[in-house]
Amino acid sequence: MSRPQLVLTMILIGAIVLQAMLPRLRLLIVTTAAGLSCLLSALLGTAKTPQLLAEVPWDVLVILIGLGLLSEVMVTSRLFGLLAVWSAEKSRASPRRVLLYFAVGLYAVSGLVNNLTALLLVLPVLLILLKLMGVDQRQTSWTLGVLLVACNLGGAATPIGDFPAILLLGRGSMSFSGYLVRAAPPTVLALVLILLVVLLVIRPDRGVIHNQLSENLSVAVIKKLYRNVRLDLGVLLPALFLLILMLVAWMFIPVSTGITPEVICWVGVAAALLFRPSLAERLLRTRVDFEAALFLLGLFLMVGAVRHTGLFADLASAIGKLPLAPWAQLVLFLILSGATTGLFSAGPSMAALLEVAETLARRFPPEVVYVGLALSVCAGSSLLLTAATSGPLLQTLTERAQLRDQHGVQVHFGFFHFLPVGLLSFAVIQAVAVLYVLLAAG
Amino acid sequence: MSSLPTGLVQAFEVAMGELGFASAAWLFVLEVAAHGGGALVRELRDAHGRTFPVLDAVASAWLQGQHGPTIEVEPVLSACAGVKRLLVVGLEADFLDVLLPRLAGTEIGLLRYSLVEVDWDRVQANYHGRAALIDMVNFQDFSGKNGAILTFLYSHSQHITHVRPSWLRLIGTDVRAQFRNIIGWDVLRRPLEVYPLWLVETMTHDFSDIV
Repeated sequence: MSRPQLVLTMILIGAIVLQAMLPRLRLLIVTTAAGLSCLLSALLGTAKTPQLLAEVPWDVLVILIGLGLLSEVMVTSRLFGLLAVWSAEKSRASPRRVLLYFAVGLYAVSGLVNNLTALLLVLPVLLILLKLMGVDQRQTSWTLGVLLVACNLGGAATPIGDFPAILLLGRGSMSFSGYLVRAAPPTVLALVLILLVVLLVIRPDRGVIHNQLSENLSVAVIKKLYRNVRLDLGVLLPALFLLILMLVAWMFIPVSTGITPEVICWVGVAAALLFRPSLAERLLRTRVDFEAALFLLGLFLMVGAVRHTGLFADLASAIGKLPLAPWAQLVLFLILSGATTGLFSAGPSMAALLEVAETLARRFPPEVVYVGLALSVCAGSSLLLTAATSGPLLQTLTERAQLRDQHGVQVHFGFFHFLPVGLLSFAVIQAVAVLYVLLAAG
Repeated sequence: MSSLPTGLVQAFEVAMGELGFASAAWLFVLEVAAHGGGALVRELRDAHGRTFPVLDAVASAWLQGQHGPTIEVEPVLSACAGVKRLLVVGLEADFLDVLLPRLAGTEIGLLRYSLVEVDWDRVQANYHGRAALIDMVNFQDFSGKNGAILTFLYSHSQHITHVRPSWLRLIGTDVRAQFRNIIGWDVLRRPLEVYPLWLVETMTHDFSDIV
């Protein structure tokens, strides 16, 4: 390992470890480390800062911010809150059906909006429902845990659902339809397998005494809380129309025309915002996710600095030299990717691992490598509560809701409550990822 | 063994914060009655009436033959005649749902203050832009010769009235003088039979109108 490789890799890994240990300071840690990486790259002669800045995938940041804004427009239409109420009604407040309906619903919503937004939209209704139902610790842990995993799977199902897939789309690694066709079926399979195991084998509601009156009261209260809340079609319809247009454009306009995914996103979101200028201006001023953008900018700069040292190419080459069959090398890479993501979370892992994957994509069918990587990152995101972007949010909101079981004992949702769900989900999703790669690579 | 759910207290606490004591109580009593008739309503009153006095009163009312809240909006409208700005202190969903559509042309504010958790955005969304959320710092925007305050009473006598604690956070001699009308709407219309937990006593003569 050369001195620049050692120094810049230490900064990257140090920053990733530190931000995982001190999430409250993660933005400060990552931006400081990014500045240090730029300085040392220049001093060690591997790359100059303008070069590193020019190589930042700005297109990915544009798509992330654009889709975030479109999500905010949909939030104001109250679509997702009302869908959650509908799920609560249809599930008739039965613990098993609540888990099933909300997991499937969140999977679908996460495919269109980011996981944080999806959870923020649905969780208030669900937490009230859980409070009304008075579910116990086991039921709460499995219900909320499976929802988090469903969010991750939904995010991995479409090219616009979560950061890893957006990165693949933005960098031109895969086309919109190419990713959707290949990634959606394995994520559906993983969700079905997890739900089957949870509902039929683990049965979180085992031991819960079902009370028809309790279920009726829960549904009646939820309906009453939302008794006059209506969908704001004036906000929703233009946003949905523009989203459909964007999806069509992403699928059918070739990148070679110069109308790239980020341009489609930028123009589409701007057009959607123009329908409600006052609302749009407020959202632009107050709801743009600068935190995520700054965090990713820092990561991209650090990863770029390491890339200029040639380390990622060396790593890919080292994998290729392992005394294993080519397919086994790829499987090993995917499993390591899943485990790395479990420790360092999806954003940092994907930003670094994609560099290695691009080299591997020259030896294997590229779409197999990329989709396998996205699924493995999804598996890793589902391993620990701290690995998923929305995990800490879910924990905070649940603790704030002060759920209690039917005997008045407070119910919690933390790292160890999620762990059994995480281990099961990691095993299932990682197995599906490996299976996908083996079948697709023939 | 009781057929009342063991988590009923928690469920009622969720409902009473956002729907109001009386509206939540009627919702629960009617559901319980539909499930188990008078015997279960009596059990509900005996088991939880002391914790939730308004629930106790509503359950008693149901057992005596009243099968829904009495919502007489005309006297309130009379008290609000000429009022351009109405500040509502406390929530009672059943009553506000009837009153607000009848107050066309009147600016409505809901005082955003509660001792239990309330999703105020959801509360507001139920009124389709008819009500603004008002904080303690800007409630005086509603004062003046055309401004009135309305709160919900949970029984009243000649001297004593039971109200939500938020009422006492707002009202004072200086505040009374700034509003044309101080309206109390008795949503219970029967005396409380148990200790008024969750409620506070205030003087009946503090109100210019009691309906």
